Amino acid sequence: MTMRPTRDMVAGALGLVLGAGLFALTWGLPQSPFVPIGPDFYPRIVLAATMLLGAILVVGELAHRRRPASPPAGGRNYRLVALTFLAFGLYILALPGLGFRIATFVFVAGLQILLDPPRGAGRWVAVLALAVAASLPVFLIFERWLSILLPRGAWTGI
Amino acid sequence: MFDLLAQGLGDFLQLKYLVPLLVGTLVGVVGGALPGITITMTVIMVLPFTFGLEPLQGLAAMVGVYVGGESGGLITATLIGIPGKPSSISTTFDGFPMSRKGEPGRAVWLGIWSSFFGGLLGGVFLIATTGWLAQIALQFGPWEFFALFMFALSMVAGLTEESLAKGLLAGAFGLIITTVGTDPIMSVPRFTLGTDFLAGGFPFLPVLIGVFAFAQIMTDIERARSLAVGDAGAGQIVSLAVSQMKVVGEILGRPFLLLWSTFVGILIGVLPAIGGSAASVMAYDQAKKLSRHPERFGTGTPEGIIASEASNNANVGGSLVTIMAFGIPGDAVTAVMLGAMTIHGIQSGPLFMSQESALAYGIFAAYLLAHPIMLAIMAIGARWFLRIVTVPKSMLIPVVLVLCVVGAYALNNTMASVWVLAIFGVVGYGLVKLGFPLAPLILGLILGDQIEVNLVRALMTDSNLWLFVTRPISALLLALAVGSVVFALWQRRRSRSVRTDEPDTDF
Repeated sequence: MTMRPTRDMVAGALGLVLGAGLFALTWGLPQSPFVPIGPDFYPRIVLAATMLLGAILVVGELAHRRRPASPPAGGRNYRLVALTFLAFGLYILALPGLGFRIATFVFVAGLQILLDPPRGAGRWVAVLALAVAASLPVFLIFERWLSILLPRGAWTGI
Repeated sequence: MFDLLAQGLGDFLQLKYLVPLLVGTLVGVVGGALPGITITMTVIMVLPFTFGLEPLQGLAAMVGVYVGGESGGLITATLIGIPGKPSSISTTFDGFPMSRKGEPGRAVWLGIWSSFFGGLLGGVFLIATTGWLAQIALQFGPWEFFALFMFALSMVAGLTEESLAKGLLAGAFGLIITTVGTDPIMSVPRFTLGTDFLAGGFPFLPVLIGVFAFAQIMTDIERARSLAVGDAGAGQIVSLAVSQMKVVGEILGRPFLLLWSTFVGILIGVLPAIGGSAASVMAYDQAKKLSRHPERFGTGTPEGIIASEASNNANVGGSLVTIMAFGIPGDAVTAVMLGAMTIHGIQSGPLFMSQESALAYGIFAAYLLAHPIMLAIMAIGARWFLRIVTVPKSMLIPVVLVLCVVGAYALNNTMASVWVLAIFGVVGYGLVKLGFPLAPLILGLILGDQIEVNLVRALMTDSNLWLFVTRPISALLLALAVGSVVFALWQRRRSRSVRTDEPDTDF
């Protein structure tokens, strides 16, 4: 009978893989004859502990052999999560090119539409008003009062 | 001490300090009232606005957010039974039933005044003990600091709801993040994969913002049935008129309850990275156990509201003690404050009190003044804050994400920090989905560099490893670290024997 990996098994495996991968990289770190404790000393302790803890989690799960639990009650909207991540990724990709004001306007308006598609003129006005408020005033507050320059667009010039 | 405190209080007569404190407290109350927006999120949103300010202005705004946030959650908790933040959950137990019995004003004001008194008592503790603890910490050598940080990490990992191994593993992930970049001894690049992007390591604040903000926002998005509306039914305006003298009398007439709840709040605050929700739940539980009428808890008894609110505001004072005396954040909010201090070139830790005494006492003053300001804000706007809950999450989420980007970008005016934010946003959400607790990860991230430096310094001073257990303070702290792990294991074994068939969420 095949066993579905539990959440703790995956978590433990992640610790094992990350720990082992980085541990391997410590062999390439340079040493100095003048410094007895090299740059690999501390990471190796941490990574060894990581691998040990990962192994404890995996072995603990295998030893308990828990039966797979039923999926959590209530639907989870992973599609919307993925789309939000995508929108955020596009926003920060476009930020240097479009500049803070345009990119933020598009992002705030777009994400609102994605999360809650507007119905009716009033809602559209609210969406656009918030997009303007999150881009122009924020830009001005930071530039004028807080002396922090937010990105200007390489493509747009603003 | 009193001269410095008086000077600190005097500074806040100037508008340049008073305005950030006032605005911070107001924003905190609003953020605290919004279900789904935690105080950590609120302080993250305020963070970029503090970069261009003087250190005391910025930290005053953050202290205001912290104090205001702890109090803001009680409005929705008492009036509509929806806690604005996790630490208000136990306020709903009695606050909401009291409101439903037709006493909304009494419920809200019992909460507000309890927050006020609990917070001020926490402030007395903060002022009285921080300097003293910092003096003790000044005697520490690298062995003691290493042991102290190990104790903090083991305790936080042990207190998480998930398995101990998972808590410790999350802490180890935090430590691993700090090993990326240049090593502190030989300045050799480590795990940078030959890229400039990783040469300086991961900046702390974008990692913190990414992990916390995305973990929460994405979890909200995935769970929400609808992001179109806030909490319906909260739009109505209710009358909160009540005799203030009577409410204050109700609280001060229970001095033992107030003091004990405050003590619990301070104690939980001093312990690293636990937070206000544990404080309020524990204080509520204690109040119920010590009450002559435990059966009245949950039906609208004032004791429940007093215990919950006094403890979660006192918790703020306790959290500030640990960060100011030892440089160890009491929770995620103080972790962000620690990051803000670093940006202004201020090193927290034992030397902070002596080297930055004006700033330290300025923080004390801000903390004390934030309470009457919170009281005034509540008096003016408590009934209106209920309307805030009707703001749809679909409007809040994009604004929060933009402010996260601004916060990361404004650190050093480069997009590199924004990339770090995005990377750790994905990492944070992934870790939450795998059931990793975030508190140990963040503590590992904050303490990682210090753990390495103190460990290496100790071994370079004397390679004798026994010194860690023969120096009394170091030995005590390491024993406490081991003790906290053993206690956590025992506690889990005990609870497992009670709950035999615990459901496990499969990946």
